[in-house]
Amino acid sequence: MSRRIAIVEDEPAIRANTADALKRSGYEVAAYESRAAALAAFRTRLPDLAVIDLGLGDDPDAGFTLCRELRAMSPAVPILILSARDSDVDIVSGLRVGADDYLTKGASLPQLTARISALLRRADLSTQPPLAEDVIERGPLTLDVKRMTARWRGAPVDLTLTEFWMVHALARHPGHVKDRDALMREADTVVDDGTITSHVKRIRRKFQAVDPAFDAIATVYGMGYRWKPD
Amino acid sequence: MARLGIRAQLLLVLTVFLALPWLGVEYVRELEKVLRESQERTLAGTAQAVAIALHDRPRLFDAPVPLVAPRGGPPTDLVDAAAARPALSAGASVAAPELAQILEGLTRTTARIRVVDRDLTVLARGGSLRRPASDEPRSRWIDRVYALFLDRPREDFVDDGGSGSVPARREVIAALDGIPATDRRATDDARAVVVTAAHPIWVGDRVRGAVLVEETTNAVLAERNRAFERLFNLVVAILLVGSVALTVYATWLSSRIRRLRDAAEAAIDRDGRVRGSLPSSRARDENGDLARSYAGVLERLAAYASYQEQLASRLSHELRTPLAVVRSSLDNLRASPVPDEAKTYVDRAQQGLDRLSAILARMTEAARLEGALSDSARERFDLGEVVAGCVEGYRLAYPARPFAYAGPDGPMTVDGVPEIVAQMLDKLVDNAIDFATGGTIEVTLARDGDRARLTVANEGPPLPDGGAERLFEPLVSIRPKEGRGPHLGLGLAIVRIVATRHGGIVRLRDRAGGRGVQVEVELPLVAGGPSM
Repeated sequence: MSRRIAIVEDEPAIRANTADALKRSGYEVAAYESRAAALAAFRTRLPDLAVIDLGLGDDPDAGFTLCRELRAMSPAVPILILSARDSDVDIVSGLRVGADDYLTKGASLPQLTARISALLRRADLSTQPPLAEDVIERGPLTLDVKRMTARWRGAPVDLTLTEFWMVHALARHPGHVKDRDALMREADTVVDDGTITSHVKRIRRKFQAVDPAFDAIATVYGMGYRWKPD
Repeated sequence: MARLGIRAQLLLVLTVFLALPWLGVEYVRELEKVLRESQERTLAGTAQAVAIALHDRPRLFDAPVPLVAPRGGPPTDLVDAAAARPALSAGASVAAPELAQILEGLTRTTARIRVVDRDLTVLARGGSLRRPASDEPRSRWIDRVYALFLDRPREDFVDDGGSGSVPARREVIAALDGIPATDRRATDDARAVVVTAAHPIWVGDRVRGAVLVEETTNAVLAERNRAFERLFNLVVAILLVGSVALTVYATWLSSRIRRLRDAAEAAIDRDGRVRGSLPSSRARDENGDLARSYAGVLERLAAYASYQEQLASRLSHELRTPLAVVRSSLDNLRASPVPDEAKTYVDRAQQGLDRLSAILARMTEAARLEGALSDSARERFDLGEVVAGCVEGYRLAYPARPFAYAGPDGPMTVDGVPEIVAQMLDKLVDNAIDFATGGTIEVTLARDGDRARLTVANEGPPLPDGGAERLFEPLVSIRPKEGRGPHLGLGLAIVRIVATRHGGIVRLRDRAGGRGVQVEVELPLVAGGPSM
């Protein structure tokens, strides 16, 4: 059974292009141009994953609202925000209202497709017990590569896909400095230097929420970041 | 032109009031004139009254009368002239006591009354020209000042004594011709002025003699002086109080204006950016109006500046959606079966798109930077560690280019955002590499008092004439080489933003000996160690 992806995007060309790319990858696609149309459709049938643009029509924040509404209907449906906006505020707000990941429109369609399949895989596996070979342990850090989940001292850390892959890239080779390009490559995302910095900050904050003493990610100024070996 | 402050201007205006003493002098002169006229009238009246009392008493003039002092009159200057003139004294005893009696009743203390016959012989006299000496102490300093330009009445003039005969002066002749007259003359030694009123004494239709009433102008003079002194004291006091009050007022006014100026200066930084607002003024005068109007201007300026600053960001934002359309279309095109020759064009379109995206990213960089600096990400960090780490990174990133780094001995704590400072250093090094014609990129970090001085120097051509300051403006770039990605000349503009927001400054200068260019960034150090 093919997965059904909902695309909520008010720009017809992007909507059509995205839909075409996803169809080519074997997904069933339902595209909506407004929050109202999408919401009505969601009430009838929940999609397997939703790609939501933040600005819809005249309302620049309609995407946030829709995101919250969809999350209220289902805690499990993966939501990917795809927006032209890339400010920290927008990213943080999007993740706070229940999105699982955030991509800017600078991302290519292959990147989007890869992200969607990763999100679906994570959703599928979240109900199954983890297998030992999928797990990387680095001291107090446990990464489940298949499910793309992270734990710190046993407590789950709620990371987005981008964040997970960044942590993964850092923790796989503790002590090695990963520069911004490497982090971007590993996380398969397109962000500029400033955004990498805020991503790392958000990752630290999420770990610190679980363990205030967390300082495993060190900044190597001018070069990048590294995971401190124990 | 020399600066003339408000205080000086107001004091200059105050000189207008120096006309006040002149007005006073005019007023006192008028007063003196009136006093003199009234003195003349009084003397004329006295002369007339005495004459009336003596009218139609032929007996008094029948024989020359030797002078006899009236009883009770001032004795000092009464000189019996009879002894000196024995020829006239004979047979004069009849009328003398009567005349003297009449005169005694009319005598005033400051006037001298004389009765003369047609031969100008003094028949009788009473009173004195000299006033009683005043005991007023005249030792105050102000009196000595006044003495410089005010005539003092003097009582030490020479007087003819008044006995014997009087000189045939104009008023006496007129009176003996039957016409009352007054005149004034100086005493022989010119130390005083004497006013004389003469009135004929009629016996029937003949003038038998005349009454002369004389008085010095000393009383008028004294009165005038007193008036003048009082007036002058008052004017000086008013001028003093006025200038003090004006000085205080002007000081207050100019201090308000200075405060406004300082606030206005502080509100806009060197780059013309609005950095703050003016404290709102509640003053209901022009100064308050000025402050409010300036605050309004600043507000509009800030709004305009922020609009301009956001323009690049907004523009790039607006361009993102069409770019995404192109990108997603290209992605789809790539996935569709396209002829091989078409693939070349797809690739070129992709390259163009990538460059366009990079330009857009740079355009938002400055705005993003402002955002990153204004959030609560500031911390205390060791600048030396950041710079040393960055230089290590550059050595890896640009293996073909030698880097020299000289750092400080101890930690250099700066309050700010380390990632952003690293980004600033990226720009500096980026710039240095672009301009270097060879040699080593020299990065130096040194302590200079309470500031850290970071210098990035390269070998290469010197700065363009007069272009150094412009290089800090966004979208201005003087670039010797092509290539190495899109360039919008935002590098130094970003360096300046970062330095300014850390409380520092940036200088761009030629290296000694024209070997190239160096950029210096000075950042304030804070006491204590890093917070992390």
